[in-house]
Amino acid sequence: MNALIVVAAITALLLFFLLASFNRLVSMRNGVRNGWSDIDVQLTRRHDLVPNLVESVRGYMDHERLTLEAVTQARSQAVAVAGAGIAARAVAELALSGEVSNLFGVAERYPALKASQNFLLLQEQLTSTENRIAFARQHYNELVRQYNTAIAEFPRNLMAGMFGFTPAQMFAADSSDRVNVEVKV
Amino acid sequence: MSPQEPAGPSAAFAPRDPEAFFKAQKRNRRATWRMSALGAFAALIMGIPLTLALTPLLYGVMLVAADIINYFSPLPAEFWQNVNAIARLGQHVGDYFFNHRGTLDPQQLLWALGLSLLPGMVLTLVLWLCMLALFRRGGVGGAVASLNAREPNQGDLKELQLADAAQEMAIAAGLPAPKLMLLDSPGANAAAIGTSAQDARIVISRRLLDDLTRDQLQALLAHLVSSVGNGDLHVAFTVTSVFETCGLLITLINSPFGRQSQKTLWRIVRYAFLGSGATKSAEADAVAELLAGSLDMNSTDIDRFFNSPQKVGLIRKFLRLVFFPIVFTNMAIEITLWFFLNLLLGPSMALVWRTRRYLADAGAVELTRDPDALAGALERLAQDSSAMPGGGWATHLFVINPTGDRSVRAVQPTREQMQQAAAVWATSRPGDAGANPDSTRFASADYAQLKREMMATGLAAFRGDAQAAARMQAFAQAMAAAHGEDAASVHIPNVADISAATRGDRAAIARIQAATRENAQLQAKRGTTGLQSQSFLSFHPPLKKRLRRLERMGAQFRAEAHARMSVGGRAIAVALWLIIGPLLAIAAGLMFLLIAIMIGFNLVLLTIWLSVIHWAFGQNWAENFSAFMRFVNDVATALNKATRSR
Repeated sequence: MNALIVVAAITALLLFFLLASFNRLVSMRNGVRNGWSDIDVQLTRRHDLVPNLVESVRGYMDHERLTLEAVTQARSQAVAVAGAGIAARAVAELALSGEVSNLFGVAERYPALKASQNFLLLQEQLTSTENRIAFARQHYNELVRQYNTAIAEFPRNLMAGMFGFTPAQMFAADSSDRVNVEVKV
Repeated sequence: MSPQEPAGPSAAFAPRDPEAFFKAQKRNRRATWRMSALGAFAALIMGIPLTLALTPLLYGVMLVAADIINYFSPLPAEFWQNVNAIARLGQHVGDYFFNHRGTLDPQQLLWALGLSLLPGMVLTLVLWLCMLALFRRGGVGGAVASLNAREPNQGDLKELQLADAAQEMAIAAGLPAPKLMLLDSPGANAAAIGTSAQDARIVISRRLLDDLTRDQLQALLAHLVSSVGNGDLHVAFTVTSVFETCGLLITLINSPFGRQSQKTLWRIVRYAFLGSGATKSAEADAVAELLAGSLDMNSTDIDRFFNSPQKVGLIRKFLRLVFFPIVFTNMAIEITLWFFLNLLLGPSMALVWRTRRYLADAGAVELTRDPDALAGALERLAQDSSAMPGGGWATHLFVINPTGDRSVRAVQPTREQMQQAAAVWATSRPGDAGANPDSTRFASADYAQLKREMMATGLAAFRGDAQAAARMQAFAQAMAAAHGEDAASVHIPNVADISAATRGDRAAIARIQAATRENAQLQAKRGTTGLQSQSFLSFHPPLKKRLRRLERMGAQFRAEAHARMSVGGRAIAVALWLIIGPLLAIAAGLMFLLIAIMIGFNLVLLTIWLSVIHWAFGQNWAENFSAFMRFVNDVATALNKATRSR
């Protein structure tokens, strides 16, 4: 009789642990997905803003065609891979970031442009969007780190394997480059 | 750095210890728990004398009620037997403690403790829960209205930037973006107000946008956003409710005597039945302020009731006689509350709040990964005037103490501030108002010279030079006007009066007293009855400590955070503490004794009062009355002995 109670108690405890950690993993996974969609919103916002920027500066800096073309190119590249995986998108989007900040750097040389209220507002919007992408990425990567740690830890990793919790991917440009790096211990 | 530059997670910043801010957050979370436990302990300690003072009154009111009911429809005999048993128990326990007579078995002691402590504790708990329930639905509209905050202007580039920075920080924290409100005040400060993360508002003064770089502004917003995310608004709400409960207790005790308390109570009742909306939240704010105000020791209801100068009617005289013992209960409770709030509960609440500030600082570093920006912003704010108009009720919610922070010494006033002071000083010179100092070559040596000149003028004024006194007054008012404060609200005591008073001039003393009273009224009108005034320990952590902790998280070395006293200065400080420390301990001991005596007297007087009332209702109480009198006598002699032995 006593043994039965002990067994029942242990089973109940195990079941409780299983339930609790399953729910925790689910909510973490949803957090990661939510974090990703936050990034996605900001990326789309940037895709919409960049053509406006290019249009508004074209009149002022016509002989910087190469810079403008590079921005347009990077943007269309980023839009093209919008449906692809995280790694491909990260590469394209971070390239676009570089081109946009390059454009702002070039714009510093044009005082007339810097005096334009319209350009300043657009620049603020784009700068803020860049920041938002950066912060959303920081938040997302932190969530991914926590989630990946949670599903790798014993004994939760047994359960994660059983219920199909797979590691999430961080939003980083050089993840594909680093695949080949071998660390020798 | 120009404000247009991007302020994302700074690439240049390479954290020396990437775990530091996570660790700091963990440590501060633990510290919050520790301090909360201390707060609960303090509340318990405060509760014991408080309930001891309150319980007799409660029993008295119940007994009178029972007497009245009994007069109309006799209560069962068992009831009166129980009352008698309680009275006998009280007498027995009193005998044991005061006269060391008889024995006491643990069961009796337990009963006595339960009967004397429980009613007061239950009452205070119920009051607290009432406060929590009442103000939870209050909303923040009233608070925003009392600060005169406005929505940001979308057309203004700086305000647009502010809105963007707030959005960015909310994204970094994974929270809904808080609403922004701007204050057109001369002080530079910011706060997060509200009751939960859903209705959180970030209030920020317009001046901050001009003073801080974008990085610094972002760091400050990160502090506020992570504070909201950590649930600080809930913590603040709980802390405030504790103080409001104490205020309500005093209001209740005062209510038989005065208009003021009755009005406050009536407003609370009316507030409870208001539908939600703008009026509700405005009323919540007003009621909270009234309750905080009743915590101040200068409530005059009781004074007016017993010492009103005009002739009083027979009814008033009778009431005075009937209510006389309650004065002692009132005084005992007020002194207990004042003493324990200022010395124990207030400081422990302040410590809880401080851990939340450190936590939010670490959170801000996590969000921006830029400890330098926050440290720079805090330092810049400490140099400015951070006073907030009309925000006295919520000083603890602001990033920087609006009443100033003195922990960072060696912060020189900025160039502009020095120049401003010099210019104002020059214009206040009687005679040649046009002589302006050469503002282009203004150096800190000039400032030192200026300070010496002011000192000399002040001394001259003290010696009775009317012209010098007038100049000091003019300078103070001009400075206040330059900072955008109300010039009439600045009251410098008339220096000539002070020097006359030191020579014993009665009229001068009376004038000074009148001025002080007027000043206090002005202060009350400006709403400086915040939580801050209920604790000798500031609710804001010293800036120096905050800078040091930021430094540990990777901020640049800051000279201000390491400014140390000279050896001589430290020796003097230690010597001062060696003298003051024991004096303070003695003062605290005397306060304890005073509270004990008050509670004892209160018990005695209430017992007599109740016996008389009960006797007047004509029960066969005679034998108990004599027993009570004996008990009263015992308590009085014991107290007498105790006071004489000191």
